[in-house]
Amino acid sequence: MSRKRTDYRSTFYSRIENFVNGKEDFLLYKPKGNTEAKQLESLEEELAEAADLLEQREARQKLQDRMAPLDYLKNFHKLYGVVAALVCATMMILLISTVIYLPPFGSPDNPTNNEVIERYIEKGEEETGAVNIVTGLILNYRGFDTMGETHVLFIAASCVMILLLIVEGEEKKSVYANDRYLEPGNDIIIQRVACFLIPVILLFGIYVILNGHLSPGGGFSGGAVIGAGLILHEAAFGFRKTERFFNEHVYKIAKVSALCFYVCCLSYYFYMGAHGYDNHIPLGTPGNIISSGLILFINIFVGTEVACTMYAFYALFRKGGL
Amino acid sequence: MEWVRFTCAAICLIFAVVMENIAVYGVFKFKFVMNRMHAAAIGDTLGLMLGALGLIILKGVSWFSFKMCLVVFLLWITSAVSSHVIMRMEYSIDEEAVAEETSDIDIQGGGQ
Repeated sequence: MSRKRTDYRSTFYSRIENFVNGKEDFLLYKPKGNTEAKQLESLEEELAEAADLLEQREARQKLQDRMAPLDYLKNFHKLYGVVAALVCATMMILLISTVIYLPPFGSPDNPTNNEVIERYIEKGEEETGAVNIVTGLILNYRGFDTMGETHVLFIAASCVMILLLIVEGEEKKSVYANDRYLEPGNDIIIQRVACFLIPVILLFGIYVILNGHLSPGGGFSGGAVIGAGLILHEAAFGFRKTERFFNEHVYKIAKVSALCFYVCCLSYYFYMGAHGYDNHIPLGTPGNIISSGLILFINIFVGTEVACTMYAFYALFRKGGL
Repeated sequence: MEWVRFTCAAICLIFAVVMENIAVYGVFKFKFVMNRMHAAAIGDTLGLMLGALGLIILKGVSWFSFKMCLVVFLLWITSAVSSHVIMRMEYSIDEEAVAEETSDIDIQGGGQ
């Protein structure tokens, strides 16, 4: 009985075998003294392979363990289609039976056509000075509601800032160092198109805001358009160039002052209205650009607020700062 | 004359609908992103142009037609550029495509 050899790899026969199998070439120059290191390396490789295999087996076992409970659900999968169809059919029957009892659309006897709507339509233009009844409605009659909405925007932006704003420190440095994380790269196509499009978009947004009391539109939609223009500028030219005219400082001033002025305007309305005084604000001729009292200014403030919020969301989610 | 105009407009609109259908079919048919983008671009460009052309022919020369031309112009610019940006992002995050490219570079470097 010969003893069992563990170092087969270093024997002459193993080298011949390797040569036959094409794994090793005798004719190549091989520096001496490296063999032990090489053996060690090969052993380490084997060890790593074995560890990989073990890891894979464990992962597979874990996956199987996780999948095992799903076997109980096989019956459910068979029933799934039937249950889904039943639920859908029930919902359809419920909703359709509800719709049947609704009054016909546009009928003058509908309960929605009450004295409130009548007042809005008949006296809206005269009382608010806005040709666009919807604007007169949401900014004048229901100004309290719109003020709440604007505050919701402000609070939402503040919450996102609390969660995502990166204050000075290592994290900020690491974010700024990784340029692929922030910048889309200088794309010449989008830059040229942005040069042409951004003025058009901003102009259109300003038009929508200023014409809010004359035509469809207003502060919310116009502000969204302007915010989209700012986002396009950022996407085309990068943060550094956008920060030249719209940074955190400008953002704070614009947003807070817009909200303050808005609240001042509405407070004046509320105070005078609640006490039954005349508010002394000339309404102008309906249809002119400068008419309808404070609605024009309120539109501008709301537009500023919405544009700032849109851009702030984008910038905060993108790089964690303005 | 009126009938000729109506026929031309109808043909344009029908072709626009056909193009949009091809685009929708292609978007759901293809598996690869760039093929799907190509299919979607058919609807964005040719379908849009044919539809607008049909409406312009129906309306004749007027402010409406001018506005439609402007809409087509702006949409052609923006949709093409947005497709380009999406493709660029897809290319930059698609690991397979990037790996292919880098392996090509490696082979060339090894040869030299």
